[in-house]
Amino acid sequence: MNSLIKISGFWRNYRLYSVLSGNVNRQNKTKFHLTLCVSNRYLFWERDRKGGYDTSHKISLLDHLKNGFKEITIESKLLGKEIKALIETDPLLVARPGEIDLLWCFNEPNVLDKFVTTSDSDHNQGYSTCSLEMSSAGRALFHGNLDMRVPKDGRIKKAGYAAMRSQRIRKSFKREATYDWHLYNTLVLKVRGDGRSYLLNISCEGYYDITWNDIYHYVLYTRGGPYWQISKIPFSKFVLGSKGRLQDKQNRMRPDKVTHFGISCGDKIPGKFNLEIEYIGLEFDPTHEEEFAYEMYKTDKYIVGV
Amino acid sequence: MAARILKTFLRARPSIITIKRFESNEKNVTLYDPFVNKPQKDKKTYLEAIKIFETRDTRRRGHVEFIYAALARMKEFGVHKDLEAYKALVDVLPKGRFIPTNIFQAEFMHYPKQQQCAVDLLEQMEDNGVMPDSEMEQMLLNIFGRRGIPLRKFWRMMYWMPKFKNLSPWLLPEKLPEDTLELAKMAIQRITSVDPEVKLDVWQTEEIEASLDKTWVVSAQSEVQKVLLAEQPSDIALVVKGPFSVYMKDQVVTYFTLIGKTRPEPKDDKDIDDVSDLQKPLGIPGFIGSTKIPSVKCSVHEQDDGTIVAVCATGTSSRDSLLSWIRLLEKYGNPLLSEIPVIFTLSAPSSDIAVQETQPAKQEETTKVNT
Repeated sequence: MNSLIKISGFWRNYRLYSVLSGNVNRQNKTKFHLTLCVSNRYLFWERDRKGGYDTSHKISLLDHLKNGFKEITIESKLLGKEIKALIETDPLLVARPGEIDLLWCFNEPNVLDKFVTTSDSDHNQGYSTCSLEMSSAGRALFHGNLDMRVPKDGRIKKAGYAAMRSQRIRKSFKREATYDWHLYNTLVLKVRGDGRSYLLNISCEGYYDITWNDIYHYVLYTRGGPYWQISKIPFSKFVLGSKGRLQDKQNRMRPDKVTHFGISCGDKIPGKFNLEIEYIGLEFDPTHEEEFAYEMYKTDKYIVGV
Repeated sequence: MAARILKTFLRARPSIITIKRFESNEKNVTLYDPFVNKPQKDKKTYLEAIKIFETRDTRRRGHVEFIYAALARMKEFGVHKDLEAYKALVDVLPKGRFIPTNIFQAEFMHYPKQQQCAVDLLEQMEDNGVMPDSEMEQMLLNIFGRRGIPLRKFWRMMYWMPKFKNLSPWLLPEKLPEDTLELAKMAIQRITSVDPEVKLDVWQTEEIEASLDKTWVVSAQSEVQKVLLAEQPSDIALVVKGPFSVYMKDQVVTYFTLIGKTRPEPKDDKDIDDVSDLQKPLGIPGFIGSTKIPSVKCSVHEQDDGTIVAVCATGTSSRDSLLSWIRLLEKYGNPLLSEIPVIFTLSAPSSDIAVQETQPAKQEETTKVNT
């Protein structure tokens, strides 16, 4: 295995099996081709947080400098605000039971800017489309078309997802921050769906690469119809997955280091989907004492988690 | 001699050594496909084809390719949700042969192609929502032994699948009714389950003489909604909105709503601790005392984008059938509908749009910005 690591280490185009662009194929005409595929599949080492999906803007150095100078004033103001808030406000020590603290209330269009939508057609890996817009009732509407067709490129086996995810929160000067939800134990959503089930994703990315894909999932069932529904989901019910695979060794979610929140649609039913969201909030429910909903068993060695 | 052997080993490219183990992992194109020429594609012929393969050759050559070919054709034969068919496929694998006999075999994935094939089979079961049973476990144990990777997949499935199987608060039966009327009834029942008082009615449009479409209407309305409709001022029009869709598993039911005027938000600035002026309760609208209901929101039907007065699904979802629905509502307990104007704000019926089945020839270059 050691030799495999070395080979994939100096080769730049390490993600071969899911990137569709033609230039990858051109560069692959080397003797290491198959070995590279193997090393990609059988190693857990990650090069970057995006898993090889390049979504960055390409701008010139001059523009980059210009933008940087513009941002200095904005960031300084932000820093000032942060210092002021640190001096003025007391930290929250207890959450009032029965009260919902809103994370996002989708009553204004600018709240939608805090979210990013992705679907498999963005990376040429499918034909689904999605968008997040204001609905006619003045709420956020996550809608689109789910398409299960698989592009005929010989690499992709399954297709069909659409997702919205909050952008990473940050402090001034682009320092990354995390949400601290440790006061609460329940996630509350007021939604109006279409009878499909959606997936709630709470990312808890850590510093090391093995934690970059840690996402805690739970299902959001929707009733469908014109009536609003309020879903309260305790954090204890969330299950740990990595790259969409449920993990054998589960642990309870740590709500004090949350990096992203997202909702995705991928229930294998092709067609249009509509999810209207009024708010996403947090609640402390003192009657919910469960820490983790899933029991773990003691098994023989090398059966679980390998 | 030893030095020469060592030299060849050292000179060998690592790729050659490491590929050997994995290159057979790729699925190969099957040459023989017994499923193509079946005249009738159902469960019986599917199982027959598997039986023919089993009896044709005692060595069962190419059984992995056969299983992959059979898995790919399950939907065609309508057995993709059938546990029995999956069991028949697992049964194709020989018993005892693939069980590792020493720790090296157990550690280094004994018979990798066969194990991967069984894992893919289990994954297809998982994707189709088919839960394996203990007989399947016994079969896999006899084939791959306790250390086999398919067994791990099986145990994972048996841990997680029962946990999520009946989790939905609006649980649907395993098999949805084929009849569209029954399905529409289930859908309307589901979306109006917020209010347990809602009564479901199935009417025929034949009752209205002027109707063109002879079909059924599933309408849902509660007593509170009738009162809300009666409260509608006659100069403000009611609006029929739709078509909206609700998913019942993979079936889509189209429904329409009748929306009344938006009632104002409740404004409560009373001091609730002040007991000097207690009011007599007004009664329950529609049941006790005055039928007038307070001007504030008090039921689930009053939402800020309008008051939902009735919900329906019709057999054809056409404009004419909706007109008949309004007339039927008028006939059964909502006489005010004859005076209030009703606006139909319907988008074009979805059935008129042709669905493009083939893959688009060229994908537009979409440059979507993501962070």
